[in-house]
Amino acid sequence: MAGVLKTSPAGAAARNGRRSGQGRETLVRLVLVRLAASAGVLWGAVTVTFVLLQVMPGSTADVLLARSSVGPEVRAGIIAEYGLDDPLPVQYLTYLGRIVRGELGESYVLRRPVWDEIAAQFPGTLLLVATTLLATVVASVVLGVVSANRRAWVRSLFASAESLVVALPPFWLGLLLLTVFSFTLHWFPAIGSSSPAGLVLPTAALAAGPAAVVAGVLREGLLRAMDEPFVVTARARGIGEAALRLRHVLRHALLPVTTLLGWIAGSLIGGAVIIEIVFSRQGIGRLALSAVTNKDMPMVIAVVLVTAVAFVLVTIAVDILTWVIDPRTRDAGR
Amino acid sequence: MGAARRPGITRRPGTTRRRGTTAPAVTAGAAMLVLALAAGCSSDAAAPAAGGAAGGGGAGAASPRSGGTLRLAVEKEPECLDPHQSPTESARLLTRPLVDSLVYQDPHGGLHPWLAREWTVSDDRLTYTFRLREGVTFTDGQKFDASAVVANLDHVVDPKTKSLLAGSLIAAYESAKVIDPLTVEARLKRPDSGFLSALAQPNLGIESPATLKGPASKLCAVVVGTGPFKSDGGFTPQKGIDYVRNPAYAWAPEGAARGGPTLLDRIEVTVVPDNSARLGALTSGQVDAVTGLAPAGIGTLKNTPGFALHTTRFPGANYSYWPNTAKGPLSDVNVRKALRAGIDWRRIVKNVYFGVYDGADGPLSASTPGYDHSVAAAYGYDPAEANRLLDQAGWTQRDAQGYRTKDGKRLALRHMWSDPSVSNLAVQIQAAAKQLGVELVEENLDGGTFVNRLLSGDYELIDTSFSSPGPDVLRVLFGADNIPTPKRGISNNMARYDNPEAEAAFKRALGAKDQAEQFGVYAEVQRRITEDAAVLPIYSPLSTLAAREGVRDVRFNVDGTPDLSGIWLAS
Repeated sequence: MAGVLKTSPAGAAARNGRRSGQGRETLVRLVLVRLAASAGVLWGAVTVTFVLLQVMPGSTADVLLARSSVGPEVRAGIIAEYGLDDPLPVQYLTYLGRIVRGELGESYVLRRPVWDEIAAQFPGTLLLVATTLLATVVASVVLGVVSANRRAWVRSLFASAESLVVALPPFWLGLLLLTVFSFTLHWFPAIGSSSPAGLVLPTAALAAGPAAVVAGVLREGLLRAMDEPFVVTARARGIGEAALRLRHVLRHALLPVTTLLGWIAGSLIGGAVIIEIVFSRQGIGRLALSAVTNKDMPMVIAVVLVTAVAFVLVTIAVDILTWVIDPRTRDAGR
Repeated sequence: MGAARRPGITRRPGTTRRRGTTAPAVTAGAAMLVLALAAGCSSDAAAPAAGGAAGGGGAGAASPRSGGTLRLAVEKEPECLDPHQSPTESARLLTRPLVDSLVYQDPHGGLHPWLAREWTVSDDRLTYTFRLREGVTFTDGQKFDASAVVANLDHVVDPKTKSLLAGSLIAAYESAKVIDPLTVEARLKRPDSGFLSALAQPNLGIESPATLKGPASKLCAVVVGTGPFKSDGGFTPQKGIDYVRNPAYAWAPEGAARGGPTLLDRIEVTVVPDNSARLGALTSGQVDAVTGLAPAGIGTLKNTPGFALHTTRFPGANYSYWPNTAKGPLSDVNVRKALRAGIDWRRIVKNVYFGVYDGADGPLSASTPGYDHSVAAAYGYDPAEANRLLDQAGWTQRDAQGYRTKDGKRLALRHMWSDPSVSNLAVQIQAAAKQLGVELVEENLDGGTFVNRLLSGDYELIDTSFSSPGPDVLRVLFGADNIPTPKRGISNNMARYDNPEAEAAFKRALGAKDQAEQFGVYAEVQRRITEDAAVLPIYSPLSTLAAREGVRDVRFNVDGTPDLSGIWLAS
């Protein structure tokens, strides 16, 4: 994944000027490969989703109409309009064709254009993922740096506390936070996702687990980096302890953390359903959940596509960060 | 249409129990000018009035006060707001403040003028002529007239609307035409004694014709009617809907709490799916009222000072176990009667639901217009009789685990759960059945498998309730045309009951000339069903609105949803 990025920054290309012609070819090839790979990922996601929804028991028409009361004409009309009685390969190719043309269609259940719904619900999700990532980074860096400094028994105390937090189910933590900080202390609203104050509790509930995991990984990384020879070199140059930790050691320890954060961000984008429900927040997770239960194919596929695109983008962001943090990766593979 | 497709909701895979849909129901247009068919059928327990009675929780009945915003948290959302399209109870609750109907149905089932001042029904009961109220305007400024009525009825039955309920409520409708600007005539394909009460449902609410011509997707968000409130922003999924008062409103139905504009300035509805969050939001003062509290939450709230609980029993079919009467051990009426008598349903309901729900006294909840009191006696606990019936049915042997057997086969009944939340109740019933020597095999299935098994009749018991504002729901639940099959798709006769006497009665009920005649026929049906033990009723589900004490005049509509427009705030 780091392949594309190592060529794009101007500095890297300039430094390797004598290879620039060759580098440009490599760049073009890598960009093409990356684009093809992304398209492959999206195609795979759509295909797997389509197959899974078909494999789910119950015909789409029966599940869609489970709660309704319709005459035979309306039932036949719905089946015909959505092409539910077409052979599966035809349905599949029709979907692919529409997606390629950028038509995601209309939700069977919400009866509105799928894009409108995604556009309405996605900002809530993005905002929550962003604040959760921020909280995770800040909390884990603080925890990691503070605890790495300590004696072994203090460190294991931190480690056990972290394990405990990781083991808490987020929805339970969410309800606990609600009860204490919203229902009892009245500090934050329990419902309504629009205000900044409304973000605090769901962010805390979602970030607690990841922050604990990341803090642990970060601490291990810091400890390992402290044993590296470059630490001795830096100390020999008379660097202060704080500067040493922040400028040199932390940078080493951040590498695995970045990858981990990328994965966490990706999984939060469709996976914050329970927190969305507990805090009555708008979000794409709830959208996905109800779409799957109702076999709302256009909506499910759109959510999967958006999530997959977001995942690809996050991966690219992780590559960029890795490149920034660790100069060694810029030349790797050359 | 034969009994078929009136209302209906069946279990929605994966979501909460459906006390979903309203069947239409009741009532007949009499042969002549029918005005204000005054209530009549007093339902016992005065259940529908219970909420209103609380009024203000006692302290000095202040006189109604104008102004303020009601903040309401609801548990479910309608998916699509348009009541013409959506079958959900949530859509009815959230559109009732926006749309008025031609006919008003009071909580006892009585029919009264609303947007129609009066109506006549032809002798063959196929032509309904409505005289409309003058001077009514939609909140977008359009005038309400006969052409608006025609546009609405045609919109509901248009296949392009893909109506999931409303269209089937008026399945007998053929066409409508404008006689003059304030007179409209509707033709039916066949007599339907439930036509007027169907028109009274929010699902047949009158929307601005201009909006009906626009895209259907827009109607799923914004509904424009002549109602006491309007909502320009409309409904946002996973969020809610805000209403503001319609200051021009002057056409509340006869019998409604208030004539002119509502006292509330605004209503803000937020969708809060989590039970604990909804209760906490209420008790911490973040909202004024909440709907759909779970029994545990109701128990908590009863002991919290400063809050009032407004409830009414949902009309329609009780929450019940529906036995497969077509095949398997429960095709034997004696086994069904044995289960009915041999399990102490009331005690179990009391234990599981903290005394919040009432036990059931028949196929219909006692608050349903047309409920027949005489059947109640058949629903008592009598274990000796139950054991006698099982012996008589031939289940005389016992196996090593104490279950009854016949010809070496154990008396085992597979119960398909409507929803995982039934587990506490199901486990208690299972234990009680074991005392009788009957094994209940509890099956918590995914939605698709549930649907497949329902269609093929591969089960012995299914649980669910079915709310509906009249006894016509019996036709939906026990009519042979409504037995779910792979060809027909999901339908609501889960007992797979097919009885010639009942079929004949359903036909007579459709052709009944007035409400009294229709109720009489359905009383017969209730006795028939009780005699056949075609359903094992367990409790009457409650519609609840829990509110802080300053929320006054909480009443319920005929379908059991709270009437938001009558509420005012004392503080």
